[in-house]
Amino acid sequence: MAGNGGAPTGFWRETGQLVSAVGRAMSVTLKNLFRKPVTVHYPDVKRPYPDRFRGILALAYDKETGEEACIGCRLCEYVCPPQVIKVEMLKSEKRNYAKTFTLELYACEFCELCVQVCPTDAIIMMKSFDLATADRRDLLLDKDRLHALGLQFEPSWATGNRLRDMQAPPKPVREARGEAKGEAKGEAKEPAE
Amino acid sequence: MPETQAKQVVEIGYGGNERLMMNMGPQHPSSHGVFRMILTLEGETVVAVDAVIGYLHRCHEKLGESLTYVQYPSIASKTDYVAAMTAELAYVAAVEKIAKIEVPRRAQYLRVIVAELQRIASHCLWLGTWCLDMGGALGGGATVFLYCIREREMVLDRFEELTGARLLYGFHQTGGTRYDMPVGWDKKVRETVDFIETRLDEYEAMLEGNTFFRVRTQGVGVISREVAEAVGVSGPLIRGSGVGYDVRRAEPYSSYGDFDFVVPVETAGDCYARYRVRMVEFRQSIRIIRQALDGLPEGPISSRPGVKSVAQVRVPKGEGYTRVEGARGEIGCYIVSDGGPKPYRLKWRGASFSNLAVLPHIVPGHKVADVVAIMGSVDPVFGEVDR
Amino acid sequence: MTLAPAAWHAVQAFIVLNVLLVLVAYVTLLERKFAARMQSRIGPYYVGRPHGWLQPIADALKLMMKEDIVPTASDRAVYNLAPIVFLVPCLLIFATIPFAPELGIADLNIGVLFFLAVSSLEIIGLFMGGWGSNNKYALLSAMRAVNQIISYDLPFIFAALVPVVLAGSMQMSAIVTAQQGLWFVAYPVIGQLAFLAFLVATLAAENRVPFDILEAESELVAGFRVEYSGMKFALIQLAEYAHMLGTSFLGALLFLGGWLGPGPAALGPLWLLLKAMVIFLLVTWVRWSFVRIRVDQILAISWKILLPTTLILLLATGLVVAMRGAGGG
Repeated sequence: MAGNGGAPTGFWRETGQLVSAVGRAMSVTLKNLFRKPVTVHYPDVKRPYPDRFRGILALAYDKETGEEACIGCRLCEYVCPPQVIKVEMLKSEKRNYAKTFTLELYACEFCELCVQVCPTDAIIMMKSFDLATADRRDLLLDKDRLHALGLQFEPSWATGNRLRDMQAPPKPVREARGEAKGEAKGEAKEPAE
Repeated sequence: MPETQAKQVVEIGYGGNERLMMNMGPQHPSSHGVFRMILTLEGETVVAVDAVIGYLHRCHEKLGESLTYVQYPSIASKTDYVAAMTAELAYVAAVEKIAKIEVPRRAQYLRVIVAELQRIASHCLWLGTWCLDMGGALGGGATVFLYCIREREMVLDRFEELTGARLLYGFHQTGGTRYDMPVGWDKKVRETVDFIETRLDEYEAMLEGNTFFRVRTQGVGVISREVAEAVGVSGPLIRGSGVGYDVRRAEPYSSYGDFDFVVPVETAGDCYARYRVRMVEFRQSIRIIRQALDGLPEGPISSRPGVKSVAQVRVPKGEGYTRVEGARGEIGCYIVSDGGPKPYRLKWRGASFSNLAVLPHIVPGHKVADVVAIMGSVDPVFGEVDR
Repeated sequence: MTLAPAAWHAVQAFIVLNVLLVLVAYVTLLERKFAARMQSRIGPYYVGRPHGWLQPIADALKLMMKEDIVPTASDRAVYNLAPIVFLVPCLLIFATIPFAPELGIADLNIGVLFFLAVSSLEIIGLFMGGWGSNNKYALLSAMRAVNQIISYDLPFIFAALVPVVLAGSMQMSAIVTAQQGLWFVAYPVIGQLAFLAFLVATLAAENRVPFDILEAESELVAGFRVEYSGMKFALIQLAEYAHMLGTSFLGALLFLGGWLGPGPAALGPLWLLLKAMVIFLLVTWVRWSFVRIRVDQILAISWKILLPTTLILLLATGLVVAMRGAGGG
């Protein structure tokens, strides 16, 4: 290969380098031969999901009353970047409901924006990513399916209120700045921290 | 290697040999994405290369006009999908620049931590796929690939604990970040970077003095300083050709000025020089992460309220361009705003797009096997190229 | 034996062939597990838990049941014949390998010559495959292959000739018997260098990384095999691994003392198998540790380094033997 092939010192030094390089590379592979493999035997063994895992979407029930938490406000529909959520509101005396709620899971980005904007923590993400089905129509989730998913898996930590509280400046700071609840929709400039 | 102009055919000297036009087509194990190169070969030597892009065009810039400032950061990560954090950062930094929104210091430090972690993950993928291309899917290349992916998985686990997603995060929002550190995350990040630092020594042991590796990469794909500056490459490509340009030093953003790190510069301009630059960047990223974790201030992670509605952020009329140092080079985002909740025009300056423009200058004269080595050292991501 | 010699040979060949095919299949499993462990993973696991024992059988069945796709633009006769022309020499070399002092199909007195000559015939099959596929990638790979294998056959032959000179015979059983005092690999300098040259030449003649430019998955996507599917692909894979195994056995016989080993003589074939596996694993270990080098660099190594080295080695061996003969009387 490259080098002063004829000159003795060049050749031997190159050969020595080659041998040591070969030895080093092979010793690294040998070392790894005796390490424990990092394979996780899915599906026999499942990796524990982190708290904030963004998995399948589902609709939840209100914790105190046990009623459907979704009020059909359509905020999630508006914020969804690929527009996979379609909601129809059903007005009622005490509160509103969602008449139909469809979510096209095959086009969902799992960006969690819908979870973040939900005022009643209705739509949440679950700790599961077992989404594979044989028929695409199974991934067009309607309201009943979404509620069933909510009961089937373990929910992630993130709900709308928790995410908004985590992102927003803490409450004492906001009150000190004189922000009342009504002015919450911030316009243009915000004063520096 | 003889100097060439774009598309100028190199005269090899043994005329009369039949020329073969071969397609290193969009479906190819080592084109790093969907990329087509029409190679004109004389025997084994590439005489001309014609690059065809556009196979991954997904109308990002048009999407930027129809999605609001709240929705787009999740989409921005899909331009440079291997190093998503830096891509999102470019977009939100441009919005914050036009609207003159201050970002709290904790958010800035968090952005730095995730950007540098992302750089480590991206370079792990670079090294793995480059060795895979050079060494074969069944061979030593695959071994280095699996080692690098093993380490990258650890970084992705940290991201999963932080945001919930492993590849495309939606972590940044106008005014700060969307997620704060979970309890114990900084300790885990420290353990991860310590572990990766020891494994880096293993990679270097496998590759550094390795004669096989050196003969494949030294003297191959030399980008001279003049060509680099004329074509406008950035990132490890230009730092490997002798120009010490790093956006983190040239225009510090997101409090990079607080950190002490070395910008590696090599003068050889060949694939080996770019490899050395990226290996040093690994260690410097680890250094920055440690400093950022040590100095992480308390405070809010966003100067704006949490995302509550889709048209929440309105930006006054104006335009702005920000650049960030992505893993591949300088990512730029140019936004023209007309006062509404959506940009009027969004333009991405993809780092890989400009980096790929150097191919017709450096590939002719090499063998087919070198094309693969060069592509790997350029390290394109086609989300940035085609947008 | 009551059977006629020809019939007896036919029975022997049948037995050896069957054992060989099973061995080749399980050697692929061994390689996959070994490679996986070096990469921090497990390798075949599910098919025949927990060690993937049934994986080779599953692969063979799968390949048999796959559709045989023949490109319409290919040169039919050449394309269809190529796997066979590739396979037959690789199986034929096992005819001359003795597994024990009297156990071998045809322990020719020109055994080594036969082995080396027949094993070089596979180049024809390789080039037929590349040409008949009518595919630029396959053709490029076939051209590289012819270059490479021809260049490395010479050092391979010279390195294999060193034990022949030391033993004074081309008959493989005679070479093994000559190693009863000291294995040829243990001969000072000459033995080790010859073994090293033999290994390097084997890597190249087998198209193994770092010399596997001809199949270069990341550039040429399986090289000359790219257009083959189903059973023809299986035959090509079989041929490659059989050739690999054949040269491992040759190396074990020539350098590592063949069937010689402690214990009763009946254990001979087992020792031979173990030694062949040692060489095979050594080659596998090298394969999974290095990146490949370019074809011009491969040819440079062969012509500029390996060939002069093996020539000088052969001359030196001849000198040593001559001096030993003259001195020892």
